[in-house]
Amino acid sequence: MRKALLVVLMATGLGLVVWSGVHNLRARRRAMQMQEETRVDLLPGAGDAAGSGSGAAGGTPTEKEAGDSPLKGKAAPEFSLEDLSGKKVSLSDYKGRPLVVNFWGTYCSPCKIEMPWLEEFEKKYAGSGFEVLGVTYDVEVGKDTIEKNVQRLGVTYPILMSTPKVEDAYLHGSDGVLPMSFYVDRAGKVVDVTAGLGSKDELEGMVKETIGAGAK
Amino acid sequence: MDGGAKPRQYVTYAAEAQTVAAGRRAVVEIRFHVADGFHVNSHTPKSEMLIRTELTLEPADGVKAGVMEYPPGQPYAFSFDPADKLDVYAGDFTVKLPVVATAGEHAVAGSLRYQACDNASCYPPRTVPVKVLFTAK
Repeated sequence: MRKALLVVLMATGLGLVVWSGVHNLRARRRAMQMQEETRVDLLPGAGDAAGSGSGAAGGTPTEKEAGDSPLKGKAAPEFSLEDLSGKKVSLSDYKGRPLVVNFWGTYCSPCKIEMPWLEEFEKKYAGSGFEVLGVTYDVEVGKDTIEKNVQRLGVTYPILMSTPKVEDAYLHGSDGVLPMSFYVDRAGKVVDVTAGLGSKDELEGMVKETIGAGAK
Repeated sequence: MDGGAKPRQYVTYAAEAQTVAAGRRAVVEIRFHVADGFHVNSHTPKSEMLIRTELTLEPADGVKAGVMEYPPGQPYAFSFDPADKLDVYAGDFTVKLPVVATAGEHAVAGSLRYQACDNASCYPPRTVPVKVLFTAK
């Protein structure tokens, strides 16, 4: 009798251990399933930065995106965008002049370092017809906020409001990286594209190259 | 802008099942990871112009949620402007959610909004979905 009771107790104990294990396994599987459902996979460009810092062998994500721009070597796509006063400004208004079309955002600190440099070069090379057109990416913040930012930066070159159409033409495939600049020569060809902030000297070098390119 | 392609995410969330005491105040931890080489503004960035990291959760049956506790950011400055100190999250960061929950399994859905930069450029604000799983017993 005592032996039978002992066997029953042992069987019950074993059963409890097995049940506990199965219950925990189900809970872990549910958690893993939820994890799969909520996981967002990084695309190779951003994932390559993991573990290798921002200097991966293939270039940083921003260097790769600029080098891959399909606009390099092609005619700059035409656009007609509103400036802060509501006036329409077209690329064709600047036909025959070397340009930088610079996409920026109010949340973008590197952009705000670069814009005063562009202002400086716009003035320095004005005699060559050089112009800068700033295109604001985050138009949803409103013109007042954009104006406040522009004034604080001391920028006087035209600031235009982006549209989905111009973003599709210029920024397609770039993942919205800012700042992004398109250097357009006098013949209207995009001679270079940069994504991310470089040095002031590099920027001036590219401005000078753009001014010298496409000369008649 | 990218013709409907899925935008890249620079912050990931992995649901981790947690257990808390039922019917009593407890804290659920919600862990995120910022991709290496990137940083996001903290919940309390230094400038109003910067987009802060914010977690939004939907109400869930049987769960009374308190005010979320965000971690403090760490100082960061771009190399080209060392005087401009930012307050950011990099690597792993955890948001704590105080809850009082009835016994049983719970799933609280929501999303994290953030805006990421690397050392020379910035990306538009993004949103990553979140599902907080825990058992109260």
